[in-house]
Amino acid sequence: MISSVAEQQDLAQIRQRVFMALFIALAVGLHTFEALLPNPLPWFRIGLANILALTVLSLYGVRAMWVLTLSRIFIGSLLLGSLFGPGFLLSLAGGVTANLFVTGGALLLRRGVSLIGLSVLGAAGHVCGQLLMAGLVVIQHQSIWFLLPAFLLFALVSGVLNGFAADLLVDHLLPHPAFGACHKRFGQHQEKE
Amino acid sequence: MALSSLWARTTGTDRVLIALLVLILLGSLFFTFGRVPGKQLVIYSGEKIVFSGPLVQDRRLDLQGPLGITSIEIAGGRVRVVSSPCPRKICIGMGEAWRSGDLLACVPNRIVVRIEGEDSKGYDLLSR
Repeated sequence: MISSVAEQQDLAQIRQRVFMALFIALAVGLHTFEALLPNPLPWFRIGLANILALTVLSLYGVRAMWVLTLSRIFIGSLLLGSLFGPGFLLSLAGGVTANLFVTGGALLLRRGVSLIGLSVLGAAGHVCGQLLMAGLVVIQHQSIWFLLPAFLLFALVSGVLNGFAADLLVDHLLPHPAFGACHKRFGQHQEKE
Repeated sequence: MALSSLWARTTGTDRVLIALLVLILLGSLFFTFGRVPGKQLVIYSGEKIVFSGPLVQDRRLDLQGPLGITSIEIAGGRVRVVSSPCPRKICIGMGEAWRSGDLLACVPNRIVVRIEGEDSKGYDLLSR
């Protein structure tokens, strides 16, 4: 029987660790799945794994999102065999910039912004980071920025969809007792219709 | 129903953010497509310039890269990659380049073709 406050906090912490491990595993799974999808345009990615990053951001906060994104990129690239290759560099640059944008947005806008806005912000950050890295390292020419409109358009659409999916997921997870210690950090909780 | 649910989940800040990004998108679109046709092209193999010349002369070029020969064609003031030994043929899929600042790149074979505008700064007969 768990009664004391200290034990309750311990329990919440252990729960968070276990769920973080599960979320990271899921994100790696989605990362790998997405790489296996046939893709007519190799540089356009939906970023399915970011749904998990946003979910974790909403449940556990900014630090958890960084842990999840970085572990996901390292483990995912290790599984795909692209670790430290050009694709990995692009992925890492995109992930880090996206997280910087989302962290900035989350700290500045706080509760005013929902996961959908943060997701779009992250997607735009991802595009900027990737193009910057591609311009500096892979192609070594700044005319790569002429690809910006196409990438940005795709990022907007996938950003909104990912944010929507993450928001739905958080709303479905929160009523469960395992997430009793958590609350939704961004946007409003939507009651089921 | 899904759409109205999506709309209900966005906050005012979200909508402002998305509108801002759409504006940036339109701005960058204008920036990309409002450019003039280029005058000459420069080809890099790795770090080195291997060719530079005017766009008005139609010709075919075979460029040696680490994987093999990448062929490009200049016709009617436009450049495209005709064949390349790279595995995914992204460079061929990039289509034609003709505006100043356009870029064709075959990353695996380390070949980059760049279109330059009126002022070809620094590239003259001596530095070719």
